[in-house]
Amino acid sequence: MSDVAVLPTAPAASSDLAPAPRRRRLPKVGVLFAIVFLGTLVFLAWFGDYLPFMRGADTKIRVAGKLQSRYKQGPGNLAWWGSDANGFDVFSRCIFYAKNTLTIGVSATAIGLFFGSLLGILAGYYRGWVDRVVSIIVDSLLSIPALVLAVMVVRRLDDIKVDISALDWLTRKWQIIFTLSILAVAPLARIVRAQTMALREREFVTAARSLGSTNTRILVREILPNLVPAMVTVAATGLGILIAAEGALAFLGLGLDQSWGFMIEANRRRLDEAWWATVFPCLMLFLTVLSFNLIGDRLARRFDIREAAV
Amino acid sequence: MSSNATQASLRDIKGPLLELTDVRTHFSTPRGLVRAVDGVSFTLERGKALGIVGESGSGKTILSRSIMGLLPTRGTIRSGSVKFAGQEVGNRSRKEMRHIWGKEMAMIFQDPMTSLNPLMKVGAQIAEPLRIHLGMSKADAKATALSLLQSVRIPEADRRLDQYPHELSGGMRQRVMIAIAMACGPTALFADEPTTALDVTVQAQILDLLGEQRRDRNMSLVLVTHDLGVVAGHTDEIAVMYGGKLVEKAPTRRLFAAMKMPYTEGLLASIPKLEDPSHSRLNVIAGRPPDLVNPPKGCRFAPRCPYASERCHDEEPPLIPTADDPSHSYACWYPVGSPEYLDARSRLDAQKVGVS
Repeated sequence: MSDVAVLPTAPAASSDLAPAPRRRRLPKVGVLFAIVFLGTLVFLAWFGDYLPFMRGADTKIRVAGKLQSRYKQGPGNLAWWGSDANGFDVFSRCIFYAKNTLTIGVSATAIGLFFGSLLGILAGYYRGWVDRVVSIIVDSLLSIPALVLAVMVVRRLDDIKVDISALDWLTRKWQIIFTLSILAVAPLARIVRAQTMALREREFVTAARSLGSTNTRILVREILPNLVPAMVTVAATGLGILIAAEGALAFLGLGLDQSWGFMIEANRRRLDEAWWATVFPCLMLFLTVLSFNLIGDRLARRFDIREAAV
Repeated sequence: MSSNATQASLRDIKGPLLELTDVRTHFSTPRGLVRAVDGVSFTLERGKALGIVGESGSGKTILSRSIMGLLPTRGTIRSGSVKFAGQEVGNRSRKEMRHIWGKEMAMIFQDPMTSLNPLMKVGAQIAEPLRIHLGMSKADAKATALSLLQSVRIPEADRRLDQYPHELSGGMRQRVMIAIAMACGPTALFADEPTTALDVTVQAQILDLLGEQRRDRNMSLVLVTHDLGVVAGHTDEIAVMYGGKLVEKAPTRRLFAAMKMPYTEGLLASIPKLEDPSHSRLNVIAGRPPDLVNPPKGCRFAPRCPYASERCHDEEPPLIPTADDPSHSYACWYPVGSPEYLDARSRLDAQKVGVS
């Protein structure tokens, strides 16, 4: 929960004459934080190269010509979040690696949203055998533990890529995007289906039909626009989950090397002496996921979408 | 294709516009077969207005949707014949009906709050049927939408085109609904409780507007309502429905002057009258509408009818015309005014006196 409501919930049992206590709107601290954090992160990650105070992700820290490897620098003025085993700047890496994480998360969500919505809207509108087929697919996807599925798919794509040379464009990054989008399809399809089922019974859909609209027209003009709030909400929450999953894949060595998950994995054995090299990437991951969840929560309450907790 | 044929034949159609013969609409549910509409027949001439009156659950809404063919396809069992402009439409698929919907038959729904798409501008919603059926360009459709909005007397019509439904009041939204329904100049309009969700002061305006559009366009109107007061001044004929059947049908004037069914009488008595002293008890029809899965064996109204006798519980009365006016028919063994009715009535009055 973002801005936990601390308003007294006791009903105003006083007389009708007393003016109703003005409902003070709490500032949306959570969402505000999320937007500021993500905004700063995006700005630094994409424009950091041009900023004087940012070291490059692959620039090693040297003091008087001496390489600051083996975690020589702790967090401080020289390197805000210290240096890592090879003398790289932890802060710079944390910032620049966000680029990968965010593009992977957003792309995977977009692909998942497209296919998930397509399945959900068809199942929810046409029902019948379409619904049954989609439900079986969705339920099967949901029944496999997400991480196991992700590992399986990435490994499989690796093998396929070796066999088929036409798939050279399928870099590790695209593999992860596809894998994660498969994870996103099922929950999105499920909520879109539920919303579509509710919408198709609405009077304005019957009204549109009574005017002679075709099914396609009803789907595109009447139902789809009304699904957008639900889709945006679930996409925001889902983005957080996918980013965490991306971190997990990288941690398991199946992700990109330029990734928070990989940083955590690479440095975690030296946690005792050089906590900064592990803790800061963890913090970035945590805050990013938290931000997307806060936004998702806010949207869910704004649009009153209860099933958003996927 | 067939739509053109319909179009052409409608302009100089002879005979009734709408002809229903023994229309039945049943729904199969886990509880059993719900006989929502159970053998309804009537005809409606072009340009006339018919009021269908009944309580909630009497099947009046389902009847109007059965005529249009706007029912869920699954679990619905339809039979009987619906002839529109001489053509059988009762057994047509949705795909075939699409050319008739909006163009020849249109419907106005009860709640204008929910029957307009909240995310589409009013102008676009009126333009929708124009673009579907008449293939109008965006600009033409917009111009037509404007004149439609003006014809339903919406103030500042040009500004409304770019507004969303939530920016309009309830009465205004219903006017928009009427404009949408009128867009392609339908020959039959079904209005399903068009004023129930509206403010009383707006009700009369909307009904007048419907009447005006009907006269201007020589369109038939089917007005579905639970309120006899609504249909009184705005229809040529009234059909009273009870438990999925027609129980009385007569020209409006005649019905109010010489109703035959005790149910119609009960409906009329349940309207509060201005001349009643204040705080007088409202008249109600005791009991509840019949269970349409297991309807009563005899007359469906018998369990609630204060005048019912044994025959009413055993045998179902047929819908028969009255002796003096063939356009007035009713389904009752002992109609209002018959000796048995008067007997029962005086007995009841005596009881009342005895109690008080």
